[in-house]
Amino acid sequence: MKMCRAVLILLAAGVALIAVGSLAPQSFAQNTDTILHAKQVLGLEGVKHNTTGTLTIDKGTLEFSKGDLKADVPAASITEVLMGADTQRTLGGTVGTLTMFAPYGSGRFLSLFRTKIDTLSITYVDASGGVHGAVFTMPHGKVVAAKTALLAQGAKTSVPMGPGTSSQPLPSSKPQERNP
Amino acid sequence: MNIKGTARLGAFSFVALLLLGSASGSAQDSVHPKIKASAIQILMVGSNEVDLPLPFQVALYENVIEQVQKTKKFEHVYRDGDRAAADAPGLVILRTNVFGFKRGSEEERQVTTVAGATQIKVHCQFTDKSGKSLLEQDVTGNVRFIGGNLRATYDFAKKVSQIVVKNFS
Repeated sequence: MKMCRAVLILLAAGVALIAVGSLAPQSFAQNTDTILHAKQVLGLEGVKHNTTGTLTIDKGTLEFSKGDLKADVPAASITEVLMGADTQRTLGGTVGTLTMFAPYGSGRFLSLFRTKIDTLSITYVDASGGVHGAVFTMPHGKVVAAKTALLAQGAKTSVPMGPGTSSQPLPSSKPQERNP
Repeated sequence: MNIKGTARLGAFSFVALLLLGSASGSAQDSVHPKIKASAIQILMVGSNEVDLPLPFQVALYENVIEQVQKTKKFEHVYRDGDRAAADAPGLVILRTNVFGFKRGSEEERQVTTVAGATQIKVHCQFTDKSGKSLLEQDVTGNVRFIGGNLRATYDFAKKVSQIVVKNFS
């Protein structure tokens, strides 16, 4: 009888271990993030300013890609991650700028239509210790997941994520995370 | 006749004064020889007085590095923290301190044209390795009409590159 109990306990323990093992990769997968239509405002080596592409945070690396163009930053080399919120013209680019000169103030009127965006700013160090910085913008609501994924994969920040953290400007207790 | 003569004399004097002014200006330029340096290390932008948001800090730093590299005045442009800079001969160090920051609004600029300007005032100091000041200047970066707030950092960086071109050989 005692033997049966011991076998049952061992079996239960084994099942629990297998369950934990199968859950572990899932939790890692939750800490990855892919953001389409992210804009690299500036900072990544080899990427032009204001390039729109895909930002992927996976396998300990932040990767920005557009077609064949790729730029990687190891998450462990990131020394600061801060997020913020901003707005941009709904009608952007050169066309958006040219609308300013549209007659009867219609361009001014169009400028009032703005879209909310999130900003993600990072600083990181290269192999020789040189400090780099990069700024990204992305569709509204994406930045919290991006920062969470970066922190989970080894990035550091002076403003840790707390419950209810959002990309909205925060009160003065956390002055760094706000609009650019 | 008298009036015409006086007018001519006045015009002549004005032109002569202008020429004299430009001549003395060029003489002043020749008094200050260009600083010789083969490498520059650009330190991360700091501020003792202003709470500068990180995107602006990063944009100032990265834009200055990019614009100084474009001048091709230095064989090496080192970043803050780069260990290789310690052994670089003829190194100058650029320290920047933001002492004024007015956050504008792109929306206001577009709607009103006259309001919503963003302005960043930065004290720039070029020193040698020992910390001896070689050149100091205050530079203002603005964005007044078209562009996002971060464009003020580009304007600032362009002005720093002009200082480099003017003062370094």
